[in-house]
Amino acid sequence: MSPRFPCAGLRALHAPTRRDFLFGLGASIGSVALTSLLARDLRAAAPGADGRPLAARAPHHRARARNCIFLMMEGGPSHIDTFDPKPRLSRLHLQEFTREGKMKSAMESGKRYYVQSPFTFRRAGQSGAEIATNWEHLARVVDDLCFYRGCQVDSVNHPTAMYQMNTGNRFGGDPALGSWVTYGLGSVNQDLPGFIVLPEVSYPQGGAPNWGNGFLPAHFQGTPLRPSGSPILDLAPPAGVTREQQQANLDLLGRLNAAHQAGRAAHEELAARTSAYELAFRMQLQVPGILDLGQEDARTRASYGIGQGATDAFGRKCLLARRLVERGVRFVQLYAGTWDSHDYIERAHGNLVRAVDQPIAALIADLKQRGLLDETLVVWCGEFGRSPDNGVRGGTAYGRDHNPKAMTVWLAGGGVNAGHTIGATDEIGAEAVDCVHHVRDLHVTLLHLLGLDDNRLTYFHGGRFKQLSQFGGTVIKELLA
Amino acid sequence: MPAQRRSPALCPATCAIALLALTPASAGDPRPSAPADSRTAEQLFAREVLPLLQAKCLACHGRDEAKIKGGLDLRTREAASAGGDSAKPAIVPLQPDASPLYLAVTRSHADWEPMPPKANDALTARQVEHVRTWIAGGAPWPDDTQRAAILAESEKWTKDEGIRVPTSGGLSAGWTDRRYPPADLWAYQPLRKPPVPAVPVPATSPADAAPNPIDAFIHARLATAQLPPAPRADRRTLLRRVTFDLTGLPPTPEEIAAFVSDPAPDGAAFASVIDRLLESPHYGEQMARHWLDIVRYADTSGFANDFARGNAWRYRDYVVRSFNADLPYDRFIREQIAGDELAPANPEAIVATGFLRMGPWELTGMEVPRIARQRFLDDVTDSVGQVFLAHPLQCARCHDHKFDPVPTRDYYALQAIFATTQLAERPAAFLPNENTTGFEEKRLIEARLAHYRAILRRLDEKSITAARAWYAAKQLDPARFEKALAGTTGRKNARGRDAGYTEVRAALLRQGLPEDQVPPRHAGFTTEDYGLERIARKGLERLRWELDRYEPIALAVYSGRTPALSSVLAPLRPPADPHTQGELEATAILTGGDPFSPGAPVVPAMLSAPTSLGDMPPELARAPAEIAGRRTALAAWLASPQNPLPARVIANRVWLWHFGRGLAGNPNNFGVNGRKPTHPELLDWLAATLIERGWSLKALHRLILNSATYARSSSHPQPSLVTERDPHGTLHAVFAARRLAAEELRDASLAVSGELNRTLGGIPVRPEINREAALQPRQVMGTFAEAWQPSPQPEQRHRRSLYALRIRGQPDPFMEVFNAPNADLSCETREASTVTPQVFALFNSEASLARAVAWAERLRRETASRPAAVQRAFALAFGRAPTPAELQQSLAHWEAMNRRHVSLAIERPARPREVIREAVDENTGEKFTFVEPLEAADAFLPDRHLGDLPAEFRGLADLCLVLLNTNEFAYLD
Repeated sequence: MSPRFPCAGLRALHAPTRRDFLFGLGASIGSVALTSLLARDLRAAAPGADGRPLAARAPHHRARARNCIFLMMEGGPSHIDTFDPKPRLSRLHLQEFTREGKMKSAMESGKRYYVQSPFTFRRAGQSGAEIATNWEHLARVVDDLCFYRGCQVDSVNHPTAMYQMNTGNRFGGDPALGSWVTYGLGSVNQDLPGFIVLPEVSYPQGGAPNWGNGFLPAHFQGTPLRPSGSPILDLAPPAGVTREQQQANLDLLGRLNAAHQAGRAAHEELAARTSAYELAFRMQLQVPGILDLGQEDARTRASYGIGQGATDAFGRKCLLARRLVERGVRFVQLYAGTWDSHDYIERAHGNLVRAVDQPIAALIADLKQRGLLDETLVVWCGEFGRSPDNGVRGGTAYGRDHNPKAMTVWLAGGGVNAGHTIGATDEIGAEAVDCVHHVRDLHVTLLHLLGLDDNRLTYFHGGRFKQLSQFGGTVIKELLA
Repeated sequence: MPAQRRSPALCPATCAIALLALTPASAGDPRPSAPADSRTAEQLFAREVLPLLQAKCLACHGRDEAKIKGGLDLRTREAASAGGDSAKPAIVPLQPDASPLYLAVTRSHADWEPMPPKANDALTARQVEHVRTWIAGGAPWPDDTQRAAILAESEKWTKDEGIRVPTSGGLSAGWTDRRYPPADLWAYQPLRKPPVPAVPVPATSPADAAPNPIDAFIHARLATAQLPPAPRADRRTLLRRVTFDLTGLPPTPEEIAAFVSDPAPDGAAFASVIDRLLESPHYGEQMARHWLDIVRYADTSGFANDFARGNAWRYRDYVVRSFNADLPYDRFIREQIAGDELAPANPEAIVATGFLRMGPWELTGMEVPRIARQRFLDDVTDSVGQVFLAHPLQCARCHDHKFDPVPTRDYYALQAIFATTQLAERPAAFLPNENTTGFEEKRLIEARLAHYRAILRRLDEKSITAARAWYAAKQLDPARFEKALAGTTGRKNARGRDAGYTEVRAALLRQGLPEDQVPPRHAGFTTEDYGLERIARKGLERLRWELDRYEPIALAVYSGRTPALSSVLAPLRPPADPHTQGELEATAILTGGDPFSPGAPVVPAMLSAPTSLGDMPPELARAPAEIAGRRTALAAWLASPQNPLPARVIANRVWLWHFGRGLAGNPNNFGVNGRKPTHPELLDWLAATLIERGWSLKALHRLILNSATYARSSSHPQPSLVTERDPHGTLHAVFAARRLAAEELRDASLAVSGELNRTLGGIPVRPEINREAALQPRQVMGTFAEAWQPSPQPEQRHRRSLYALRIRGQPDPFMEVFNAPNADLSCETREASTVTPQVFALFNSEASLARAVAWAERLRRETASRPAAVQRAFALAFGRAPTPAELQQSLAHWEAMNRRHVSLAIERPARPREVIREAVDENTGEKFTFVEPLEAADAFLPDRHLGDLPAEFRGLADLCLVLLNTNEFAYLD
């Protein structure tokens, strides 16, 4: 087995330094060998090509979208203050609110009051979708969105609700949606992970299990590309170790492994491990280039709000997400937050909307302009919505608590019923009342759009065939075009 | 397999049944012409078709009236005949091929969506045939009485119709009376020691060894398959294999030399090696690693807070001690289940009950307390099922088990055992054999406490200043404020912290002042201050859990009434009066698993099937209704030699630990869906022998390891013959090579580099993990978790991986990429898949480089020439000498790399003393930064660095890095 790695042409390029792999404009390794990437795409497109776990596989049925960009608004954005106006709350503002019953938790102790939204609303686009006016940019692409107000989850607490939204199981440990999708479909680009996560600087509650592979093989784990420092841990060798040195070490490693393998032909894992070193070396060279947003023109960067204080961070993630799906990464999940505005919701949600509004609008428009929106499913949601009431703490703090019974989710892209608002919550936004579905049905619907049947996308573990929806669910037909 | 369908794919599969409806005109329906056939069809309905409908259809078509799909109710003939939303007849009596119900279950008809929708629920060919025969026989639907009469004839059933399992009873008669193929009930059969097959001694056994019954069982199957086994592995390979297996560490070159040159015959020489290793204290560590995978050990509680479990380490060390002392396995069970009840005065027994606390759990103010309590009960019930009985029980939480003979009544009866089990961090004196060194690290926590207190004091002063300004600006009299302030200063608040501005405000509000007459909450705060206040306040809360680590406290339980808790933000101490305060929980079947939907009450009891099928004395299966003693009864039932499951379960696990795969392929699941044992007689023989030898696990290891089966080579002279005659690799014709587990890989690196600190037990240590992961900000409830600060001393950091602090929300990325399991799920078998990030972790990491440097330095010290250094390196890494080609390549590499290093300036990376965190404050949604001090950095002694090596040895460090990455290092033959 030759220990040489097929990257001779790239070796001349200067080595990126360890700490400069920002999603930034700084790192520049020039254009990666895109043609070779594309050539590999075609090879991999054959279902089950050479038995690699990430090889692209045929969907169960005709897919409406090939890739997914999942915008995870961690912390629980308030539907009442974004996409589901409740004018009645203005009339009830600061009247006492009571909730009784078994589901009472300590969160609801003390006096509670109805809280009106500090935001104003308007109808936007030809569809006339009702959105808060501070979503200035999203208003431009609102006709591409399908708002869904009927989703409910089980958990009132962050990590369990996050786990449920991400994995279907409140208690963690199960594979994330992105893991199931890459397990079902593989990925087009064999040089990158099929499921990539762009987390906030600080990891969300519940941590890495939010993108864990659970009981699925490790190949389907979400790989976080960290927004600062090395995007993938140890992607580059320690300071002082040069590329040439590394190449020389790899050459010797290849020779020693080849000699060892020679007497163990039946042991296939050994060869697989040797290939992993080759792939790692390719990734090490290519990832920095893909992350280099300097390859995009200035107008595109500006459209995502890159370079402006408020929008820069999420703008970079959105633009990177587009670059990743463009290169055949199957599933990209972006985090923004925290939307957990128990107090001062006007300021907190105001700032968050400012941070994500322009980048998201630019992402939708950019995907559309490049013809990618039709084949990309975009999902926006949090782990739950927020309550119409709050404990008024100290007399000045207006905010909202967690609400698993009502939230807004929106979808855009391939196969979704764009330009429509589906489902409804009651007149104070406390509970979904129309087209009400458990989050498992949302999961089944997302899989369906991606060409996967939740009932067939199963994995045997713990004595039964497990599935994302846990026990089966139904497609929410109203969300489909 | 379902074929392509013409019906639109967009229609959810489950809605297709809505089109089905039974023929409404059953009254006056002409009965099928042949009475004999009809009789058969009626029997078929009662025995097969109705149970099938119940198992596969009623979940959506009748069981829950609120959730009936498509309006079709299949519970009774009348309801079914009323049809669903469509009038299309579902069953055309006598004509299965015109009956949509039949066509749907065939899953291959163009017009009908396959039913049941889930592919894995598909009917077997035999079941489909039953449906067909029943319809062809006129689709009769005998009533309850007729069915009872038919079922009463069950004694006459032939064996292939299955065995009825006596249980506490299902929710329906159909479930209670259902039949199981005998093969599915293998694990419940009373454990009898089977005779050893009389086959010739395998040719690969050492001449001096006594015939090993294990080889006879294995060889009997090989002989049937006409597959000759691989020859015995050479001594070097065997020693490396068995040393890793029993200790998780590589053999030293000296141990290899001694074994290879031992003049004793193969069998005797190897037997004495096995004896030596079983007496090594590292044996207990390696077995503990396996056990902790199963019980989900971690040092934190998971979920939103991920609070420290300061004393979990004492349970971990209890496990190590138990294996090392060869604690009889039945006693190991008893202590973990009911140590506190059995020996309340023995701290060891209290510590052992940490087992019951291993699952993730917390109660935050956000959660409904009843639900959190139920989470504990469900977790511990399922955990006992998986760990000791190889039965995942969570399926039976919501309904009678779909596959196994576990009615939901059994589940809640078992759960009732734990209804009086309460969580506590209990006092338990340190034992002389516990490692209680290193407690001085507590000063780092005290430094952090002081840091947080100083922040709060400063913010308090800021608010007081701002409040005074507020009074001045509002032209209000501050007298009451100043009086309240004076009255508060120096006091403690309800949470034991210094009272301050918050308490002053509260006092003023209590005086009845309106809000606008009281200075605002958080007066004078900037965005940053909001974040800091929260971080300091929550930080103090979090550290209380850490302080427990150095106290004689055990993560444990007690028996008592359930206390009323609204949130748990500090360790729970047992109450003085556990039998009077709180609720005495009455357990009932929870409908759909919902704690607010209690159904029929249950009394504490054991699972039915092992008791009834295993011929256990029924009195063993009962538990007292009193508060105390329930777990004692469970422990006695689990540890009874008459219980058919636990001995089989542990024997299978021990086999797995040596062969990489259990005789039964799912060590946590011996139920219908678990893989059946490949050598059931051998498993029974091992389990029976274990009991016979006083439940000694060391005796079991000795038996297994001294077999010829264990000593086989991993290479077969005729690999194609193996592929052909043993396609699933279950016959043990060759030994299955395996990759080292994550911990073994790290520990072996430390062992060869000479850095490994072999101290046993004690408080968890913090090795250096990837620096960016260590400093990665991580949200926990209301704040950010503390950074991972490596232990200051190298010898602390270089302890075995077993002792590394395990934080559920912050796994060591190295462990994670090498398939260490997530601590939330019981892990029955380690995965060993190859993924790319493994390369980054092993080839690019600072840790690997540090090992390589230390190793090179060791070689420099221990050898006098370059060839000698390379030879020593190969001996340490692989236990063999390099081939001439390898020696030459290695020397050349060393020299070439040295040349590169001449021109390289190597700077030691500076260690940060603090980390600046950027975060989004939840109050304001604005970004803010704060500084987290890294207290451990002051005393930190770094590992040896490349720059510390003389330049002519830096090339050797490169060679060492390569050796650490080789397949030969990472795999065991």
